Amino acid sequence: MTSRELMLAAIRAARPAPVERPDVRAAVAGLPLQADAVRSFIEAAEAAAARVLEGRRAELATMIATAYPAMGRQVSAMPALDAGAMAELPHSFADTEVFVCEAVLGVTENGAVWLPLSRLRHRSALFLAANVIVVLDRARIVGNLHDAYAAIDVAADGFGVFVSGPSKTADIEQALVIGAHGAKSLTILLLEE
Amino acid sequence: MSGAARSLPVVHSAPVDHAAAAAAFNANEARVDWHDAALWFVREKRDRAVEEVPEWELLRELASNIKEHTLSRLDEYLVAFESAATANGAIVHWARDAEEHNRIVHDILVSRKVRHLVKSKSMLTEECGLNAYLEERGVDVVDTDLGERIVQLRREHPSHIVMPAIHLTKEEIGETFAEHLGTPAGLSDPTELTAAARVHLREKFLAAHAALTGVNFALADTGGIIVCTNEGNADLGMALAPIHIASMGIEKVIPGANELAVFLRMLARSATGQRLTVYTSHVHRPREGQELHIVIVDNGRSEQLGRKDFWRSLKCIRCAACINSCPVYRRSGGYSYGATVSGPIGSVLTPGIDLHKYAALPFASTLCGSCTAVCPVKIDLDAQLYRWRQIVVDAGLVSVTKQLVARAGGRVLASRRLVAVGSMLFRSMLRAFPARLLRRLAGAWGRDRELPVPPRESFSAWYRRERGDGHDVA
Repeated sequence: MTSRELMLAAIRAARPAPVERPDVRAAVAGLPLQADAVRSFIEAAEAAAARVLEGRRAELATMIATAYPAMGRQVSAMPALDAGAMAELPHSFADTEVFVCEAVLGVTENGAVWLPLSRLRHRSALFLAANVIVVLDRARIVGNLHDAYAAIDVAADGFGVFVSGPSKTADIEQALVIGAHGAKSLTILLLEE
Repeated sequence: MSGAARSLPVVHSAPVDHAAAAAAFNANEARVDWHDAALWFVREKRDRAVEEVPEWELLRELASNIKEHTLSRLDEYLVAFESAATANGAIVHWARDAEEHNRIVHDILVSRKVRHLVKSKSMLTEECGLNAYLEERGVDVVDTDLGERIVQLRREHPSHIVMPAIHLTKEEIGETFAEHLGTPAGLSDPTELTAAARVHLREKFLAAHAALTGVNFALADTGGIIVCTNEGNADLGMALAPIHIASMGIEKVIPGANELAVFLRMLARSATGQRLTVYTSHVHRPREGQELHIVIVDNGRSEQLGRKDFWRSLKCIRCAACINSCPVYRRSGGYSYGATVSGPIGSVLTPGIDLHKYAALPFASTLCGSCTAVCPVKIDLDAQLYRWRQIVVDAGLVSVTKQLVARAGGRVLASRRLVAVGSMLFRSMLRAFPARLLRRLAGAWGRDRELPVPPRESFSAWYRRERGDGHDVA
C-alpha cells in the first residue's frame, strides 16, 4: 500500500463518531453590524496602521501623486493608469517604490481589503513594493468576513489576499515595528464615483 | 550550517524534567518577571479584541463544531481536498511521519537542483526537524519570519509557536545581529534591528530557488491553502520562488470558505489581539511556470484521532492563546517543555507522541482552566491534562514519593474522620513548629512562599457553632 492509502486507512479506522456539519451561513445571518460601515472601516484600517484618504475617482491621479510625492519607480496594476509596464519576472519589481492596485472590497470589522490576482496582475509587486496604494470604492465595503466570503469567489484567480495595513512585526521584545518584509506603508484611497 | 542542531533542546530523548528546567529559568528573577509580563500583555490585547465581538461565543461554538465535523470525516475531506488541489495544478504528497515528510521535501529540492530554500513559519517542519535534515544534505535553509531567523542564527528553536524569540531581550538579539548581520555593536533598537533583518532577508528572498510555507487552513471544496502572516514573508517567498512547497498536518483541512471566515475572525484576535493578520494569502493555483507541492503529514495525528479522550486536541488552530494565558508557561518558559509545541496544548499533544518522554508535562499545570476559557475552538484542555495525569500514573511514570503521597492523600480525602483528624493535626503543626522546619516539610509548596496562619477552628466546627442546624458538613 502507498503512504496515501495507509494514512487514509489509519484515519478511517481512528475517526470519531460522525458529527453533523453546522450551517455556518444560517448561524451568522443577522449578526449585528457597525452602524456606520465606512467610518468603522476607516477606524479599523487606521488601527492596522494604514492611512486612509477620501476623494472622488476623477481626482485619482492627483491623489496618487500627492500620496507619495517625489518617489522612484511606480508600478500600477490598474488598466486606467499606465505608470510602468508590467514585466514578466516577479523579481523585476524589487526596486518598486509605489505599487498601485484596486481592491474588490473592504471589510468593516477589520479594515482589510480583498485583492485577487486579476487586480494585482503580478503577485510579487504587492509584497516587494516599499509603499502600496490600494484604491477602494466606498460602495464596496461589507460588514464582516462572513459577508466578504459570500461576495467573492476565493478560487477564481488562483491567488487572492486579504491585506490589513502595512507589514509589521513584534518579534523583538513585543515592540511593534512597521515594515517587516512587505510594504512599509499602506495608503487606502477611498473613492466616491 | 549542519551539525549544531544535534545539541538543540528539542532533540533530546531523555524524559523532560519540566520542574528542573523551570527552576533553571526561574534563577533569573528579572527575566521571569519580564517574560511573564510580556505574555500577559499579549493576553490582555487578546481580551480587548475579543470583547469587541459580541458574537464571540457563537463563533467558538461554530468553530468547535466545524472542526469536530471535519475530523469525524477527515479521510473524506482530505481526499476531496487532494482532488480539488490536483485539478488546480498542485502536486499533492502524503507523508506518514517526519522522516517521510523530510525525504519528500528533500527529493523535490534535489531533483530540481535547489540549493537555497526560504522558509516561513511552520511548526510542522520544526516538529519534523526539517532544517537539520536538509542542512546535513547541503541545502541552505533560511527561516524568514523575524523571530525564527533570530533563533536560527542563535542555533536555538522557537520557545513559543507564535512569538519564537519571546525568551530573548533586544540586547541579546542585537548581539546576535552584530555577529551575523554586521550591525553595529551595542545596537538594540527594535526598529533598526528589524530594518537590518529586512535588508538581509530581502537578498535571501530574491536568491531563493524554492519557498516552503506552512498552512493555516486548507479548503476541501476548492483545494486552496490559506497562509496567515504579519510580516509578509510567506507571501513574498511564494510570490518569487519558482517552487512553492506547503507542508500541512492532516488536521488543517476545513470544508470551505464559509467555514474559513469563522476561523479567520478568531485566529488573529486570539493570537495577538489583531482583528486579522496583515496578510491572509489564499493560494489555489501555482503561478504561471511555478510548481506547487502540498505535503500532507500524519506523524502521530491519526493515532491521536483514535484516542477518545484526546482527539479534540486536533481542533487546535495554533493561536497560542492558551500558552499566553498559562501561569505555568509564563513563569517557566517555552524550553522547559522540551517540545515544539509548549504550554497547555503542547502538554496534551506530546504525551501521545511519547508518554515516557513527556510524562511530566501534564503536571506542568495548575488545572486553573484559563487555557480552556480562552481556546477559540473550545478544546477542554484542563480536562485532557487531568486525564493524561491518570494515564501517566497508571503507567507507573511518576516518582514513588509522588505515588505514595497521592495514594495517602486519596485515602484521607475519602474519609470524613481522617480529614477531621488531619486538619486538626495540620493546624497544630502550623502553630507549634518553627517556620523553617514547616517549610522543609511542605516540600515544593514551602520553597517560595510563606505558609498560612492556621485558623483557630476547623470550618466544620465553625459551621456547627454558627448555624447549629444539625447539618454536618465535614
